[in-house]
Amino acid sequence: MHISEGVLSGGALLTGWACSGVGIAIGLKKTESEKIVRTAMISSAFFLASLVNVKVGASSTHLAFLAPMGLALGWGIFPAVFTALILQAFLLQFGGLLVLGANTFIMSFAGLAAYLLFGKIISRAKNQGVIFTFAFVAGAFAVILGAFLVGVFLAMSNRIFLISAKIILLAHIPLAIIEGIVTGFMITWLRRISPEFLAIS
Amino acid sequence: MRKIILAMTLVCFCAGVLFAHGVGYREASEKSVALEFFYSTGEKMSYREARVFSPKDSQFAIQTGRTDELGRFAFIPDCEGMWRVIVRDEEGHQANAEINITPEFLQNNISPETQNNIFSDKFGIMIRALLGVSLIFNIAAFVKIFSRRR
Repeated sequence: MHISEGVLSGGALLTGWACSGVGIAIGLKKTESEKIVRTAMISSAFFLASLVNVKVGASSTHLAFLAPMGLALGWGIFPAVFTALILQAFLLQFGGLLVLGANTFIMSFAGLAAYLLFGKIISRAKNQGVIFTFAFVAGAFAVILGAFLVGVFLAMSNRIFLISAKIILLAHIPLAIIEGIVTGFMITWLRRISPEFLAIS
Repeated sequence: MRKIILAMTLVCFCAGVLFAHGVGYREASEKSVALEFFYSTGEKMSYREARVFSPKDSQFAIQTGRTDELGRFAFIPDCEGMWRVIVRDEEGHQANAEINITPEFLQNNISPETQNNIFSDKFGIMIRALLGVSLIFNIAAFVKIFSRRR
Protein backbone atom coordinates (compact mmCIF):
# COMPACT_ATOMS: atom_id res chain seq x y z
CA MET A 1 0.00 0.00 0.00
CA HIS A 2 3.07 2.25 0.01
CA ILE A 3 3.29 4.62 -2.93
CA SER A 4 6.92 4.93 -4.00
CA GLU A 5 8.90 8.12 -4.37
CA GLY A 6 8.77 9.79 -7.78
CA VAL A 7 5.37 8.43 -8.77
CA LEU A 8 3.01 11.21 -7.61
CA SER A 9 2.74 14.69 -9.11
CA GLY A 10 3.43 17.88 -7.12
CA GLY A 11 -0.29 18.54 -6.62
CA ALA A 12 -0.93 15.05 -5.27
CA LEU A 13 2.07 15.32 -2.93
CA LEU A 14 0.86 18.67 -1.57
CA THR A 15 -2.68 17.32 -1.09
CA GLY A 16 -1.24 14.38 0.82
CA TRP A 17 0.82 16.62 3.10
CA ALA A 18 -2.09 19.01 3.72
CA CYS A 19 -4.55 16.22 4.60
CA SER A 20 -2.09 14.30 6.76
CA GLY A 21 -0.94 17.54 8.44
CA VAL A 22 -4.50 18.25 9.61
CA GLY A 23 -4.90 14.64 10.75
CA ILE A 24 -1.59 14.64 12.67
CA ALA A 25 -2.48 17.92 14.41
CA ILE A 26 -5.90 16.59 15.52
CA GLY A 27 -4.32 13.26 16.47
CA LEU A 28 -1.65 14.87 18.65
CA LYS A 29 -4.24 17.07 20.34
CA LYS A 30 -6.52 14.12 21.08
CA THR A 31 -3.77 11.76 22.29
CA GLU A 32 -3.61 11.88 26.08
CA SER A 33 -0.29 11.54 27.88
CA GLU A 34 -1.31 8.15 29.36
CA LYS A 35 -1.94 6.73 25.89
CA ILE A 36 1.47 7.62 24.43
CA VAL A 37 3.05 4.26 25.29
CA ARG A 38 0.06 2.44 23.79
CA THR A 39 0.40 4.56 20.64
CA ALA A 40 4.11 3.66 20.45
CA MET A 41 3.29 -0.03 20.88
CA ILE A 42 0.75 0.01 18.06
CA SER A 43 3.04 2.12 15.90
CA SER A 44 5.78 -0.50 16.40
CA ALA A 45 3.38 -3.28 15.43
CA PHE A 46 2.50 -1.38 12.25
CA PHE A 47 6.20 -0.77 11.55
CA LEU A 48 6.98 -4.49 11.90
CA ALA A 49 3.85 -5.74 10.12
CA SER A 50 5.27 -4.61 6.80
CA LEU A 51 8.02 -7.21 7.20
CA VAL A 52 5.62 -10.12 7.75
CA ASN A 53 4.89 -11.67 4.38
CA VAL A 54 1.63 -13.48 3.75
CA LYS A 55 1.43 -15.90 0.82
CA VAL A 56 -1.64 -15.31 -1.36
CA GLY A 57 -1.66 -17.92 -4.13
CA ALA A 58 1.39 -17.42 -6.31
CA SER A 59 1.93 -13.93 -5.00
CA SER A 60 2.61 -12.56 -1.51
CA THR A 61 1.67 -9.46 0.44
CA HIS A 62 2.16 -8.00 3.91
CA LEU A 63 -0.25 -7.09 6.69
CA ALA A 64 -1.08 -3.44 7.41
CA PHE A 65 -3.22 -3.58 10.62
CA LEU A 66 -5.16 -0.48 9.51
CA ALA A 67 -8.48 -1.23 11.25
CA PRO A 68 -6.95 -2.52 14.53
CA MET A 69 -4.88 0.68 14.66
CA GLY A 70 -7.92 2.85 14.02
CA LEU A 71 -10.07 1.00 16.56
CA ALA A 72 -7.33 1.20 19.20
CA LEU A 73 -6.14 4.75 18.62
CA GLY A 74 -8.96 6.70 16.96
CA TRP A 75 -7.50 9.98 15.66
CA GLY A 76 -4.21 8.99 17.27
CA ILE A 77 -3.63 6.75 14.25
CA PHE A 78 -2.26 9.74 12.29
CA PRO A 79 0.83 10.44 14.46
CA ALA A 80 1.35 6.67 14.96
CA VAL A 81 1.36 5.93 11.21
CA PHE A 82 3.42 9.04 10.44
CA THR A 83 6.17 8.01 12.89
CA ALA A 84 6.24 4.43 11.63
CA LEU A 85 6.31 5.52 7.98
CA ILE A 86 9.22 7.93 8.54
CA LEU A 87 11.21 5.06 10.04
CA GLN A 88 10.11 2.67 7.30
CA ALA A 89 11.30 5.18 4.68
CA PHE A 90 14.69 5.67 6.38
CA LEU A 91 15.38 2.15 7.58
CA LEU A 92 13.50 -0.15 5.20
CA GLN A 93 13.30 1.99 2.04
CA PHE A 94 9.49 1.69 1.92
CA GLY A 95 7.74 4.63 0.27
CA GLY A 96 9.82 7.80 0.56
CA LEU A 97 10.05 11.14 2.30
CA LEU A 98 8.27 13.33 -0.28
CA VAL A 99 5.42 10.86 -0.60
CA LEU A 100 5.22 10.46 3.20
CA GLY A 101 2.26 12.84 3.45
CA ALA A 102 0.17 10.91 0.94
CA ASN A 103 1.06 7.53 2.43
CA THR A 104 0.29 8.77 5.96
CA PHE A 105 -3.10 10.09 4.90
CA ILE A 106 -4.05 6.97 2.91
CA MET A 107 -3.31 4.51 5.71
CA SER A 108 -4.43 6.69 8.61
CA PHE A 109 -7.69 7.75 7.02
CA ALA A 110 -8.54 4.14 6.14
CA GLY A 111 -8.05 3.13 9.80
CA LEU A 112 -9.87 6.20 11.10
CA ALA A 113 -12.84 5.54 8.81
CA ALA A 114 -13.05 1.98 10.18
CA TYR A 115 -13.06 3.45 13.71
CA LEU A 116 -15.72 6.07 12.92
CA LEU A 117 -18.00 3.66 11.06
CA PHE A 118 -17.69 0.48 13.14
CA GLY A 119 -16.29 1.66 16.47
CA LYS A 120 -19.61 2.26 18.21
CA ILE A 121 -21.23 -0.95 16.92
CA ILE A 122 -18.25 -3.03 18.12
CA SER A 123 -18.14 -1.27 21.50
CA ARG A 124 -21.88 -1.84 22.12
CA ALA A 125 -21.97 -5.45 20.92
CA LYS A 126 -22.06 -8.09 23.66
CA ASN A 127 -21.97 -11.25 21.57
CA GLN A 128 -18.48 -12.49 20.56
CA GLY A 129 -19.76 -13.54 17.13
CA VAL A 130 -21.18 -10.08 16.44
CA ILE A 131 -17.92 -8.41 17.58
CA PHE A 132 -15.92 -10.72 15.32
CA THR A 133 -18.21 -10.11 12.34
CA PHE A 134 -18.09 -6.32 12.59
CA ALA A 135 -14.35 -6.33 13.30
CA PHE A 136 -13.88 -8.52 10.20
CA VAL A 137 -15.90 -6.08 8.09
CA ALA A 138 -13.95 -3.14 9.56
CA GLY A 139 -10.62 -4.82 8.75
CA ALA A 140 -11.58 -5.66 5.18
CA PHE A 141 -13.19 -2.24 4.64
CA ALA A 142 -10.04 -0.38 5.79
CA VAL A 143 -7.86 -2.26 3.28
CA ILE A 144 -10.29 -1.68 0.41
CA LEU A 145 -10.59 2.03 1.32
CA GLY A 146 -6.80 2.30 1.55
CA ALA A 147 -6.43 0.68 -1.89
CA PHE A 148 -9.10 3.00 -3.28
CA LEU A 149 -7.24 6.04 -1.89
CA VAL A 150 -3.97 4.81 -3.45
CA GLY A 151 -5.86 4.70 -6.76
CA VAL A 152 -7.23 8.23 -6.20
CA PHE A 153 -3.75 9.64 -5.54
CA LEU A 154 -2.34 7.85 -8.58
CA ALA A 155 -5.23 9.11 -10.71
CA MET A 156 -4.56 12.67 -9.47
CA SER A 157 -1.04 12.35 -10.87
CA ASN A 158 -1.80 10.68 -14.17
CA ARG A 159 -5.04 9.72 -15.87
CA ILE A 160 -3.50 6.46 -17.08
CA PHE A 161 -3.43 5.44 -13.45
CA LEU A 162 -7.24 5.22 -13.48
CA ILE A 163 -6.77 1.76 -14.98
CA SER A 164 -4.25 1.07 -12.24
CA ALA A 165 -6.81 2.02 -9.62
CA LYS A 166 -9.03 -0.86 -10.74
CA ILE A 167 -6.07 -3.27 -10.73
CA ILE A 168 -5.06 -2.10 -7.23
CA LEU A 169 -8.57 -2.65 -5.87
CA LEU A 170 -8.73 -6.17 -7.29
CA ALA A 171 -5.20 -6.97 -6.06
CA HIS A 172 -6.10 -5.97 -2.50
CA ILE A 173 -9.15 -8.23 -2.15
CA PRO A 174 -7.11 -11.21 -0.79
CA LEU A 175 -5.33 -8.90 1.67
CA ALA A 176 -8.70 -7.42 2.71
CA ILE A 177 -9.97 -10.91 3.61
CA ILE A 178 -6.78 -11.76 5.54
CA GLU A 179 -6.82 -8.41 7.37
CA GLY A 180 -10.51 -8.92 8.12
CA ILE A 181 -9.83 -12.29 9.77
CA VAL A 182 -6.82 -10.93 11.71
CA THR A 183 -8.82 -7.87 12.83
CA GLY A 184 -11.74 -10.09 13.83
CA PHE A 185 -9.62 -12.27 16.12
CA MET A 186 -7.58 -9.36 17.45
CA ILE A 187 -10.52 -7.11 18.38
CA THR A 188 -12.61 -9.97 19.82
CA TRP A 189 -9.65 -11.00 21.98
CA LEU A 190 -8.88 -7.42 23.09
CA ARG A 191 -12.55 -6.77 23.95
CA ARG A 192 -12.49 -9.82 26.22
CA ILE A 193 -9.01 -9.48 27.77
CA SER A 194 -8.33 -5.74 27.84
CA PRO A 195 -11.20 -3.57 26.57
CA GLU A 196 -9.53 -0.37 27.82
CA PHE A 197 -6.85 -0.93 25.17
CA LEU A 198 -9.34 0.05 22.48
CA ALA A 199 -10.25 3.67 21.72
CA ILE A 200 -13.84 2.52 21.16
CA SER A 201 -14.10 1.64 24.85
CA MET B 1 22.54 -5.13 -76.20
CA ARG B 2 21.67 -1.72 -74.74
CA LYS B 3 18.44 -3.19 -73.44
CA ILE B 4 20.29 -6.03 -71.70
CA ILE B 5 22.75 -3.60 -70.06
CA LEU B 6 19.84 -1.40 -68.99
CA ALA B 7 17.98 -4.39 -67.53
CA MET B 8 21.10 -5.60 -65.67
CA THR B 9 21.71 -2.11 -64.27
CA LEU B 10 18.11 -2.00 -63.08
CA VAL B 11 18.42 -5.42 -61.42
CA CYS B 12 21.68 -4.39 -59.70
CA PHE B 13 20.08 -1.15 -58.49
CA CYS B 14 17.05 -3.01 -57.08
CA ALA B 15 19.35 -5.54 -55.42
CA GLY B 16 21.25 -2.66 -53.83
CA VAL B 17 18.02 -1.22 -52.47
CA LEU B 18 17.00 -4.63 -51.15
CA PHE B 19 20.36 -5.16 -49.44
CA ALA B 20 20.01 -1.73 -47.83
CA HIS B 21 16.91 -3.08 -45.99
CA GLY B 22 18.59 -6.27 -44.90
CA VAL B 23 19.18 -6.98 -41.21
CA GLY B 24 21.86 -8.83 -39.35
CA TYR B 25 23.09 -9.57 -35.85
CA ARG B 26 26.19 -10.50 -33.93
CA GLU B 27 27.08 -10.98 -30.29
CA ALA B 28 27.92 -7.69 -28.59
CA SER B 29 31.46 -7.65 -27.26
CA GLU B 30 30.69 -5.09 -24.51
CA LYS B 31 29.77 -6.35 -21.06
CA SER B 32 26.21 -5.72 -19.96
CA VAL B 33 24.87 -4.84 -16.52
CA ALA B 34 22.09 -7.21 -15.49
CA LEU B 35 19.89 -6.30 -12.53
CA GLU B 36 17.19 -8.19 -10.67
CA PHE B 37 14.17 -6.33 -9.28
CA PHE B 38 11.92 -7.61 -6.52
CA TYR B 39 9.37 -6.48 -3.95
CA SER B 40 10.06 -6.40 -0.22
CA THR B 41 7.93 -9.55 0.02
CA GLY B 42 10.51 -11.34 -2.13
CA GLU B 43 8.20 -11.52 -5.13
CA LYS B 44 9.88 -10.77 -8.47
CA MET B 45 8.96 -7.59 -10.34
CA SER B 46 8.03 -9.57 -13.46
CA TYR B 47 7.20 -7.86 -16.76
CA ARG B 48 7.38 -4.34 -15.26
CA GLU B 49 8.21 -1.18 -17.18
CA ALA B 50 11.94 -0.39 -17.04
CA ARG B 51 13.78 2.78 -18.05
CA VAL B 52 17.54 3.41 -18.21
CA PHE B 53 19.05 6.88 -17.69
CA SER B 54 22.68 7.58 -18.55
CA PRO B 55 24.84 9.98 -16.50
CA LYS B 56 24.80 12.35 -19.49
CA ASP B 57 21.03 12.85 -19.46
CA SER B 58 18.90 12.27 -16.40
CA GLN B 59 15.67 13.42 -18.08
CA PHE B 60 15.30 11.18 -21.14
CA ALA B 61 15.61 7.43 -20.94
CA ILE B 62 18.12 6.02 -23.41
CA GLN B 63 16.57 2.57 -23.18
CA THR B 64 13.09 1.39 -22.26
CA GLY B 65 11.61 -2.04 -21.98
CA ARG B 66 10.23 -4.57 -19.53
CA THR B 67 11.78 -6.88 -16.99
CA ASP B 68 11.59 -10.59 -17.72
CA GLU B 69 9.60 -13.19 -15.78
CA LEU B 70 12.27 -13.26 -13.05
CA GLY B 71 12.32 -9.48 -12.72
CA ARG B 72 15.65 -9.13 -14.59
CA PHE B 73 16.67 -6.29 -16.87
CA ALA B 74 19.99 -5.72 -18.67
CA PHE B 75 21.64 -2.82 -20.45
CA ILE B 76 25.04 -1.97 -21.91
CA PRO B 77 26.60 1.22 -20.52
CA ASP B 78 28.83 3.15 -22.90
CA CYS B 79 30.27 5.79 -20.55
CA GLU B 80 31.41 6.04 -16.95
CA GLY B 81 29.33 7.64 -14.19
CA MET B 82 26.18 6.93 -12.22
CA TRP B 83 23.58 5.11 -14.32
CA ARG B 84 19.99 4.84 -13.12
CA VAL B 85 17.48 2.12 -13.87
CA ILE B 86 13.89 2.76 -12.80
CA VAL B 87 11.41 -0.09 -12.71
CA ARG B 88 7.80 0.65 -11.80
CA ASP B 89 4.48 -1.14 -11.71
CA GLU B 90 0.90 0.11 -12.03
CA GLU B 91 0.30 0.08 -8.27
CA GLY B 92 2.62 2.94 -7.28
CA HIS B 93 5.74 0.86 -6.57
CA GLN B 94 9.00 2.08 -8.06
CA ALA B 95 12.51 0.68 -7.70
CA ASN B 96 15.41 3.08 -8.37
CA ALA B 97 18.69 1.30 -9.02
CA GLU B 98 21.94 3.26 -9.19
CA ILE B 99 24.99 1.68 -10.78
CA ASN B 100 28.37 3.36 -10.69
CA ILE B 101 30.10 2.54 -13.96
CA THR B 102 33.85 2.91 -13.55
CA PRO B 103 36.53 3.21 -16.27
CA GLU B 104 37.76 -0.23 -15.09
CA PHE B 105 34.38 -1.73 -15.94
CA LEU B 106 34.40 -0.23 -19.43
CA GLN B 107 37.99 -1.30 -20.10
CA ASN B 108 38.43 -4.57 -18.19
CA ASN B 109 34.86 -5.70 -17.50
CA ILE B 110 35.34 -5.45 -13.72
CA SER B 111 31.92 -5.66 -12.03
CA PRO B 112 30.28 -2.28 -11.40
CA GLU B 113 29.46 -0.90 -7.97
CA THR B 114 25.75 -1.43 -7.42
CA GLN B 115 24.01 0.05 -4.42
CA ASN B 116 22.23 -3.10 -3.32
CA ASN B 117 18.72 -2.92 -1.93
CA ILE B 118 18.59 -3.65 1.80
CA PHE B 119 16.24 -6.58 1.23
CA SER B 120 19.13 -8.58 -0.19
CA ASP B 121 20.53 -8.68 3.36
CA LYS B 122 18.22 -10.52 5.80
CA PHE B 123 20.43 -9.81 8.82
CA GLY B 124 20.42 -6.11 7.97
CA ILE B 125 16.62 -6.07 7.98
CA MET B 126 16.48 -7.57 11.48
CA ILE B 127 18.86 -4.93 12.83
CA ARG B 128 16.92 -2.16 11.12
CA ALA B 129 13.59 -3.52 12.43
CA LEU B 130 14.94 -3.57 16.00
CA LEU B 131 16.36 -0.09 15.56
CA GLY B 132 12.99 1.15 14.28
CA VAL B 133 11.04 -0.25 17.25
CA SER B 134 13.62 1.17 19.63
CA LEU B 135 13.37 4.58 17.99
CA ILE B 136 9.55 4.58 18.20
CA PHE B 137 9.66 3.92 21.96
CA ASN B 138 12.39 6.54 22.39
CA ILE B 139 10.23 9.09 20.58
CA ALA B 140 7.25 8.10 22.77
CA ALA B 141 9.34 8.49 25.93
CA PHE B 142 10.52 11.90 24.77
CA VAL B 143 6.93 13.02 23.99
CA LYS B 144 5.72 11.72 27.38
CA ILE B 145 8.45 13.56 29.30
CA PHE B 146 7.84 16.70 27.26
CA SER B 147 4.05 16.59 27.81
CA ARG B 148 4.50 16.06 31.61
CA ARG B 149 6.81 19.06 31.88
CA ARG B 150 4.20 21.21 30.16
